[in-house]
Amino acid sequence: MTTVIQHGEEVRPFEFTGSGGEYFRIWIVNLALTILTLGIYSAWAKVRRLQYFYRNTTIAGSSFDYHGNPMAILKGRVIGILLLVGYNVMGGAHWGLGLIALALLLSIMPWLIQRSLRFKLAYSSYRGLRFRFTGSLGGAYQTFLLWPIVGYITLFILTPMAHREIKAYQHNNSHFGDTVFSFDAGVGKFYGVYLKALGMVLLAGFAIGLTFALLTPVLSIFIPDGTERDKASYIGWIFFVIMGFYFLLFLFIGPWFSARMQNLVWNHTALGPHAFQSDVRARDLFWIYLTNFLGILLTLGFYKPFADIRLARYRLAHTALRAQSDLDEFIASQENAVSALGEETADVFNVDISF
Amino acid sequence: MCSMSTSPSEASSVAADYFDGRTARAHKVSLTLSSDALLVQGEDIRRSEPLSALRVSEPMGAAPRLISFSDGAHCEVRDHALFAVLLARSGYTDSLVVRLQQYWRAALVSVAVTIAALVAGYVWGLPALSEWIAFKVPEPMLAELGHGTLQFLDRAVFKPSELSTARQQSLIKTFNRLVSPDGTKTQHAIHFRKGRSMGANALAIPDGTIVVTDELVKLATDDEEIIAVLAHELGHLNRRHSLRMLIQSSIVAFVVAWYVGDVSSVAAGLPVLLLQARYSREHELEADRFGAAILKANGIAPRRLGDMLLKLEIAHRTRQGDTHPREPNSISDYYASHPATEERIKALAQ
Repeated sequence: MTTVIQHGEEVRPFEFTGSGGEYFRIWIVNLALTILTLGIYSAWAKVRRLQYFYRNTTIAGSSFDYHGNPMAILKGRVIGILLLVGYNVMGGAHWGLGLIALALLLSIMPWLIQRSLRFKLAYSSYRGLRFRFTGSLGGAYQTFLLWPIVGYITLFILTPMAHREIKAYQHNNSHFGDTVFSFDAGVGKFYGVYLKALGMVLLAGFAIGLTFALLTPVLSIFIPDGTERDKASYIGWIFFVIMGFYFLLFLFIGPWFSARMQNLVWNHTALGPHAFQSDVRARDLFWIYLTNFLGILLTLGFYKPFADIRLARYRLAHTALRAQSDLDEFIASQENAVSALGEETADVFNVDISF
Repeated sequence: MCSMSTSPSEASSVAADYFDGRTARAHKVSLTLSSDALLVQGEDIRRSEPLSALRVSEPMGAAPRLISFSDGAHCEVRDHALFAVLLARSGYTDSLVVRLQQYWRAALVSVAVTIAALVAGYVWGLPALSEWIAFKVPEPMLAELGHGTLQFLDRAVFKPSELSTARQQSLIKTFNRLVSPDGTKTQHAIHFRKGRSMGANALAIPDGTIVVTDELVKLATDDEEIIAVLAHELGHLNRRHSLRMLIQSSIVAFVVAWYVGDVSSVAAGLPVLLLQARYSREHELEADRFGAAILKANGIAPRRLGDMLLKLEIAHRTRQGDTHPREPNSISDYYASHPATEERIKALAQ
């Protein structure tokens, strides 16, 4: 057994060394190969993409690694496409049959999500130790089927609770070697974030509505004669302005919500005795989202790899581990250690469905 | 990273972190290459592994290179310059894809391939896919889609028709007497309305409703011209054009939203509007061909549809106070949501 020596707390920041230009070349070459192989190469492209992000993420001098097997991912995608085709064939035969197929598809969703989480963690490693996901199937159905339904039934009043359940299910069932992750954020904190976001939406909606109401009589003076056509184009123009406002609104509230949620979730997650900390700022995220969006729009999508790198760099730079002891002390007992050979013999259901 | 005091040629070993796969402990080691084995040496580690049993990770910029052993142990190497020398000496070569990833020229070719695929997908793939999906939609769902559209237009734009019921009935009767060239029936119901701000116009709603304005009926020289427009609108219904447009824009919106990610779907909708204009052009031409086939089968010259189109075009320009005929083949023609009337008329005259 290793003896735990108290060094006192040491904050270990995450570092990200990926570069946009470098990742762009990897991304575009793999995208072209995917196109030329009619999608088959996409599994290999995905592995390479994840490896680029994992291996360029460093904490305490060591990197993460991704071991996903492209064949397993390809298998997952083939199953996914078969499910879609099956659904379409059933729906084409009779629309009632299509509804049954849709219900079936929805009912296996939690199982698919649980499998994907297992796949993702089982093939992630740090310092040679694998991560693991041990969430039960029952838990997956409760989290990804029961809770969302409860959310809908209660007209979204219980949605923050459902959101908390998802995070608790994910984090409480994750392991690094023999050490388990834990999640302790209370429901109240989730309600806090949701209510503030709702408040912002309502306030902005009210402000825009008020501006519109005040502006309409003023602007109508400038309309020479109230022909139907002029009125129609005027209303169309106003509608466009409102859409623009809403676009800006979501552009702002989206990042705000995302920043607060990341901070809430990671500030209440710990790996054994080591707590995580996250201090993402909404205004920074807003700026990154806005410029990324404009970049992607102006380059017809080719800015995407640069955008992904920027976002990952920012998010990781604002996340750290408050290490209570040396990170050398994690262990994986024999049955939890996955050998390099073990990954090749993935069982039939060890697939990654996520697209 | 590492000190540059040792020149690569005289370097004999590379510093690395060794992990045994059982604990997270980082062992400081040095890697040396013998004839056909890699020697790992550290304070409490000493192992020699044949090169054939090792796997080396691809170069990925500043990320460490990983050397994996068959028992789950691995080394992380961050001294890229020295490691490259070691690798070269071991006879290791990068895979073709890895080499391609390092050249901007390969990236440029890849950009070209991607753009070609995107354009092909947009021009041919998307319409074909939407058409396929549109004809899979069952009739009851189709009726549901158009439900309420006429009521909405009645409230917002139209007034009840001022045409006599007898006139309306005779037009409907004449149109319904037409034989379809391939024997297929298209579900439809014809309604007359006073168009007001919409002027002389006719439109098809997915649930099978065709609306004709009084203004259009008055504009026509004879009933054949009205029948011709109705045949064109029936073409829109038969080919499920509105539904196809809806599916196309949904697919584009979905793909853009998925691709852009973190931004709201409202924003994703903007590019969709820009991408939309092209299609209605194809659809108008398709509806023209459908209408022309019906007219021909019933002994009416398809030219009559062309005549009516010209009249509608002139009527609309006059309404907009534009007396100058538009130059054909101008850029604005391309972006117009209606194909240049000249082009359509020419096609119908053949």
